[in-house]
Amino acid sequence: MRSTKLPLLILLGLLVLCFGLAAWLDLWFQTWQGNRTQSADVLSVLMGDSRRMFANHFFVKADAYFHSGFYPTVFDNREAFRTPHMAEDSGTVGGQNEGDEKGFLGKPRDWIDALSRQFFPARHTHLDQGGASGDLGDSSQVREIMPWLRLSAELNPNDIRTYTVAAYWLRERMGKVAEAEQFLREGLRENPDSYEIMYELGRVYSENRNDQARARNLWEASLRQWQRQEAPKSDPDKFLFIQIVSHLALFEEKQGHYPQALAYMELWKARSPGPDAVQKFIDDILHKMASPAPAPAAPPLQPPGQAP
Amino acid sequence: MNNILAVASVVIKELYRRKDFYVLYILTVLICLIMASVNLFHDVHIVRYLKEICLLFIWICSLVIAITTAARQIPSERENRTLFPLLAKPLSRTQLLLGKFLGCWLACGLALICFYLFFGALAASREHHWPLLNYLQAGLLHWVMLAVVIAFTLLGSLVFAAPSSNATITFVLVAFILLLGRHLNKVALQLPEPRRSILYGLYYCIPHLELFDVRDLIIHNWPPIAWPVCGVAALYALAYASALLIGACLVFRRKAIN
Amino acid sequence: MPTVQNSAATAQKSGAAARDIIAIEHLRVEYPTRQRGQKTKPAVKDLTLSVRAGEVFGFLGPNGAGKTTTMNVLLGFTNATGGNACLFGTDVREPISRQRIGYLPELTYYYKFLTSEELLRFYARIFGIPKPDRERRIDNVLKLVELEQARKRQIKTYSKGMMQRVGLAQSLINDPELLILDEPTSGLDPVGRMKVREIIQRLKDEGKTVFFSSHELGEVETICDRVAILNQGELKLEGRVSDLADQYHLNLEQIFLKVIGYQPRS
Repeated sequence: MRSTKLPLLILLGLLVLCFGLAAWLDLWFQTWQGNRTQSADVLSVLMGDSRRMFANHFFVKADAYFHSGFYPTVFDNREAFRTPHMAEDSGTVGGQNEGDEKGFLGKPRDWIDALSRQFFPARHTHLDQGGASGDLGDSSQVREIMPWLRLSAELNPNDIRTYTVAAYWLRERMGKVAEAEQFLREGLRENPDSYEIMYELGRVYSENRNDQARARNLWEASLRQWQRQEAPKSDPDKFLFIQIVSHLALFEEKQGHYPQALAYMELWKARSPGPDAVQKFIDDILHKMASPAPAPAAPPLQPPGQAP
Repeated sequence: MNNILAVASVVIKELYRRKDFYVLYILTVLICLIMASVNLFHDVHIVRYLKEICLLFIWICSLVIAITTAARQIPSERENRTLFPLLAKPLSRTQLLLGKFLGCWLACGLALICFYLFFGALAASREHHWPLLNYLQAGLLHWVMLAVVIAFTLLGSLVFAAPSSNATITFVLVAFILLLGRHLNKVALQLPEPRRSILYGLYYCIPHLELFDVRDLIIHNWPPIAWPVCGVAALYALAYASALLIGACLVFRRKAIN
Repeated sequence: MPTVQNSAATAQKSGAAARDIIAIEHLRVEYPTRQRGQKTKPAVKDLTLSVRAGEVFGFLGPNGAGKTTTMNVLLGFTNATGGNACLFGTDVREPISRQRIGYLPELTYYYKFLTSEELLRFYARIFGIPKPDRERRIDNVLKLVELEQARKRQIKTYSKGMMQRVGLAQSLINDPELLILDEPTSGLDPVGRMKVREIIQRLKDEGKTVFFSSHELGEVETICDRVAILNQGELKLEGRVSDLADQYHLNLEQIFLKVIGYQPRS
């Protein structure tokens, strides 16, 4: 009896000791400067910097899904796919694509090549235009890119385009405004200085929430961030700058704040690839400023007893 | 033919009495169900990533089953000395080898049916439609591809010393062909002679297993392939499988088994 | 023009050949070797041997004499380097030559995932036994080897003795006319050995031919009609057990030791 109890007691004692030690050490470890649990992210700990590589891979995979699998490999001509089309179509990034997006495969080089094209997607389609089914009215299939964008964001929360692209498709084609906003706010938590996310949030409030005041605040914050981060660069991000200032300009114009609108338009014109088009907007505003605003029309006379 | 079928039936029994298939099947089901439970922007209709994960596991599992089953057939018969009472019967070595091939192939076919049924159920749970023709085509092409892999593995089991080395080499070759087989001609055209000719020669010699990988068509709901084209691909695979089996039979006939 | 004498000689030879279940002529088997100065090593040298229908033939020799190699040639496991061997007048390289034989290897291993019933059914199918006869034969052989109770259990659960009995069952499933046994009593307890001897005797009484190798010379002396002794690949002695005993005035063990050239120290 004694011989069986003693080992059990020793084991129990060791367990209690280990548990106590772990509890004591855990507190110390949390405060230790060198620990990687600050990120509280298993993926970061496991994968290290390679997670960025995977994140990019999954971002490109989302674009492959956007094309229903018709996508160039590293062995094909990728000139027409430098900027993922799902990002370009969302209007959140500037495009750098050239060449033939439909014919990157080229002509079949041999009979095996010709036969193989029957066995994989060989037609250029976009999910928001029906995908493989070709039903142009069906844009709901764009939901299929979401898992890869989600995974990409998990692996690399600092890749801004993941949030902006996903948010666009969520609110525009899937009707999930709340989810889009939440995703953008997650991105903003990870990247508090991101002008792209602020701009996109502004669009959510402007186009979907109809909260123009909030949208303006966000765009102004976005512009400030852009000027702080991008303006000093030799090659700043002109595409998004134009998006921000054009939205601000048009917003101020609608509100009747013409001087402010003009100021934004001047900024817009300075960096626009088509300054003549912007000049027309400026001329319109100047014309509006010159001619007085018409008096509001008098309501029509109503016979007594009738509702207006 | 009776002898070949008798040997094949023993191989099939071996598959469903071993645990390999069940472990892989349960693993696939579990992983797919876990992936399906992930909340993605509160949209329950997102399905293609699930289909891709499921099909990826089906392909990996089917290759594992095919290669490991085929790789151990002849070596384990020799090691366990079950080959001797077998060949002491009126059964030629050719019949034995063909029986092993047919058994492995049919066993893989049965496994594929189970896997694709699960895949169909998983996809239908979200898509609410069941493109039976597409799935049938994909399954058939997959099965026909496995014929080439099994034939190659059987030949390897007679050439290489150990089943593990045979399995490893086969896995590496199959992965190489599936990932890069389609692109060898593009790479070849960028090289100077004589490397261009060598690579192009290799391109024509290898069995293009990637032809049978129609996962992208299934995942993205493309229309089914024309049946005559499938027929040509099936004939292509069966030609390769036959050539490999003939080679295996010739090697086996000359091989000392004790 | 064939003469009467030639015709008679031919008839006698074909008649003898027809009665010879096993006919081995100038058999030579060589294995490749890595020894210096030698490309091949002969395992069997110029062996000529015949076994007639209905007799129990003992194939004896020390370890490495060439007994297993000879059996492997008869069973088609090994190709002969020279000479030829026939079973029932058919070259051993033809699978059909094994249609009427049963073989019990020394080491009995069978598919562990099958039951004994399934294993016998598999082998019966290879022999082309029709389905109704198949089940009847399975029942009979399982009863003979006393494995009826365990017929539904997988072979991996069997003991060594049960494995040996499975081996015997599968060698008898096709009701063979020739039974080739490679050390059939090896590893068996006395009861098991007795049962094997009984089965061999029963087969002999039924007119079957038994060809077996064994190191149990006492058993061989008891049940064999004729014996052959091999040493270093060569046939040293062949004849009826009784005739050899009369010739040498020794028992079989002593004859064996004398023939292989064993000199005791004392």
